[in-house]
Amino acid sequence: MLTVQNLYASYGAITALHGVSLEVAEGEIVALLGINGAGKSTTLKSITGVLRPVRGSITFLGEEIANKSPESTVKKGISLVPEGRDIFGSLTVEENLRLGAFANRDRARYKTDLDEMFQLFPILKERFHQAGGLLSGGEQQMLAIARALMSRPKLLMLDEPSLGLSPTMTDQIFELISGLHERGTTILLVEQNAERALEIVDRAYLLTTGSLEFSGTPDELRRKVDIASVYFGGEDDDHCEVQL
Amino acid sequence: MIDLEFIINTVSLGSLYALLSLGLVFVYGILKLVNFAYGEYIMVAGYAMHVIGQNRGIPWYVTMAIAVLLAAAVSYATELVAFRPVRTKSLTALIVTSFAVSVFLQNVVLITISPRSRAVPLPAFFSQTLTLGTATIPVRNLVIIGTTIVLLIGLTFVMKKTVLGIAMRAAADKFTTTRLMGVPANLVISATFIISGLLAGVVAIFWVGRSASVDPLIGAAPLLIAFIATVMGGMHSLVGAVIGGFVYGLLFNILSIMLPATMISYRDAFMFMIVILFLLFRPEGIWRGGYTEERVG
Amino acid sequence: MRLPEKISALLKRRSTLFLLLVPLIAVGFVLQAVGTPLILNIYTYFCVNLMIVLALQMFMGNSGILAWTHVAWVGIGAYASGILSMAPMVKSLGVPNMYPHLVELQLPVVPAILLGGVVAAIVAAIIGWPLMRLSNAVGVITLFATLIVVHVVMTQWDNVTNGPRTFFGLQEFTRLPQALVGAILVLLLAHWYRESSLGLRLRAARDDRFAAMAIGVSVVQVRYVAFVLSALIAGIGGGVWAHFITSFSPKAFYITETFLLLTMLVIGGQGSISGAFTGTALVTVAREVLRQVESGMNNSGMFSFEVYGLTELVMAVLMVIVLIWRPSGIIGGQEITWPLLKRKNRPDDGPGTDVVEPA
Repeated sequence: MLTVQNLYASYGAITALHGVSLEVAEGEIVALLGINGAGKSTTLKSITGVLRPVRGSITFLGEEIANKSPESTVKKGISLVPEGRDIFGSLTVEENLRLGAFANRDRARYKTDLDEMFQLFPILKERFHQAGGLLSGGEQQMLAIARALMSRPKLLMLDEPSLGLSPTMTDQIFELISGLHERGTTILLVEQNAERALEIVDRAYLLTTGSLEFSGTPDELRRKVDIASVYFGGEDDDHCEVQL
Repeated sequence: MIDLEFIINTVSLGSLYALLSLGLVFVYGILKLVNFAYGEYIMVAGYAMHVIGQNRGIPWYVTMAIAVLLAAAVSYATELVAFRPVRTKSLTALIVTSFAVSVFLQNVVLITISPRSRAVPLPAFFSQTLTLGTATIPVRNLVIIGTTIVLLIGLTFVMKKTVLGIAMRAAADKFTTTRLMGVPANLVISATFIISGLLAGVVAIFWVGRSASVDPLIGAAPLLIAFIATVMGGMHSLVGAVIGGFVYGLLFNILSIMLPATMISYRDAFMFMIVILFLLFRPEGIWRGGYTEERVG
Repeated sequence: MRLPEKISALLKRRSTLFLLLVPLIAVGFVLQAVGTPLILNIYTYFCVNLMIVLALQMFMGNSGILAWTHVAWVGIGAYASGILSMAPMVKSLGVPNMYPHLVELQLPVVPAILLGGVVAAIVAAIIGWPLMRLSNAVGVITLFATLIVVHVVMTQWDNVTNGPRTFFGLQEFTRLPQALVGAILVLLLAHWYRESSLGLRLRAARDDRFAAMAIGVSVVQVRYVAFVLSALIAGIGGGVWAHFITSFSPKAFYITETFLLLTMLVIGGQGSISGAFTGTALVTVAREVLRQVESGMNNSGMFSFEVYGLTELVMAVLMVIVLIWRPSGIIGGQEITWPLLKRKNRPDDGPGTDVVEPA
């Protein structure tokens, strides 16, 4: 469904991605793991078109989408739940969701989609007329996911959905993500919480300092790579090049 | 001193200033650009009324409608030609561009029409007055208040109930995230410039209506007022702009009454000094919007 | 190290300065020898503008804050130096309402110009103390409001400025040599300032305010010093200008002139001295050419009406074109160095104003 090949991206003079390649097949749930600064968010930004890659190709459903604008990638069926949730704080929950449905404006579909979201996230029905900024962190995360789902994405990308959430809330969110996957949504999940992510994904990619370190099933990853050393810099020096 | 006349005149002045600031803050909210060409949209509408008004056969409301639409069209055109290509670059480049656009438009009318001021024909009710008890009130002031009420209700509807309005509010908060919802950046920005131009056009009718004439520099004063009122009200929300407009109108009328005759020519200096002092203590303005301007040290 | 080596090392280290100073002085000398009065006038005008624009660069270029008040300092310097240098007789003729003790004052021109700068610096020091704390839009707007306040005072204070009417009767002190010396001194100062620890801290604060604060830069303080220093030089520049033009009114220190100064700085590149220099040169030349064309058109009777405002119109269009083509100016944020083609490959040290979100 999504194929990224040999992707290079940079912020000014600093190159953040050195030839990253990855693939997500239809119906899969795939994790992209790595520490801060490894290039996870940069990869997502390049896919959505927020950041223009220096070179490399990104194809989605057989179509080249590198260098496309963010608004057009959404229309093609890729939806992102941004890091830090990025709820529109001054807009109500309703308005947030209406914007989420901007890409497919269809009154009837909007109503059914909205009902579906209320089933998935009952809390959003309660808070429907409140400003997004007044919601708790977990509720905001739910709203961000619901907002992304309103465009009926073929591929849902989540950037650090558990960031800043309490352990119970994190559990709920992960449960929800695997629930979405079971319903047939294709998911690309970026997480720092590698252990939790590995519990629910089919495959995982590990990024270090802008290039791919490993890819495979969660079991393979656990066997071949000492995950703790990746995150905390164990004996293996190769993994300790923490970028500033 | 504070009688019906004062109240109605102040509310009417405040209404005009509210519309004025609203037009400026629409663009500022999204691009963070203080559009120095904003006053020139008012000038364009004024000249449209002058030119079309030459032809006595055209009814005044048609003239005014064309003037308002022309202001919106010029606002949109400047966005397309000048602002769009520099938009992603530095903010200074954007501000200087708006300055250049302002100079350009001024000099276009300077060359093609005249550096001197020109008469603008107006319908009779613009100069009539109404007597309410002891108060004598210009009809124009009542029209301003009415127009402002209608426009504010209309704009509230657009911003709250239409998807485009919601997208515009969202874009003022988080531009990139709004695009990630599938909202085209150009659509939102063009829409704000068009609304800003429409408001400038409406303001132009009443602004020009006070002196019944128009000159190439007519945009400078309304720009300043919009600028200051907006900052005072709070640059980050439309509500703040409206409040700022009314507060400015009130402050202006109070200073006009209170200042001794010898100091009246310094009125603007007093206004701006009050504004500066106010901003020092409350940089975010009267109405706190989505986020606040930081103050270092 | 032998002397020639020393010199070549100095040339390398200070190549920017030499690349700017050599043509500035050389052209000055050549024109002084062979130039027509018109050309001499234009070059003098260029040198005066250079002083004022470099002063603008010192604050705006290094701090990234849009300096609306700059032209106000020029104006204060112009009025103050004029009042100080004019003979009492001339003053009471030109400004009938002037305060008696101001009328009595008279100094030689050079101290008058310097004191004019000091007056501008004092006003800037008072106003800047609170204002330098504000950032972003509010910072820009309060500076803009300050310009308006100064302008209102200039147009209304009959007893000092002659109100909105022309202030006239200054000695014609500034000629090419004086202006050239002024420009050279300011160029040296601006260059020294940019490279000094103060300038460096200010540029750091411009590029990332919070990172600069984290390494111990007092943002308010470095901004404040630059603001006052810039006002001092602008005031002196205003005095030099006033003694060149000899009569002026408050209109000369308002928005149109601000636009002109900004154009000069931004077209070349506000981040560097080279940019300010190039921009001033280009705009001065372009304006003079356009003026000649404009008056040529009006005199030839090609049109039945006066073509008035063409210069400004074309300047505005050029400005937008340059900004679309090179948003950080023709030269950009880096200084030109010798050899010209071997520019160091480092990220653009551009105008560090807050960049709008990628759109």
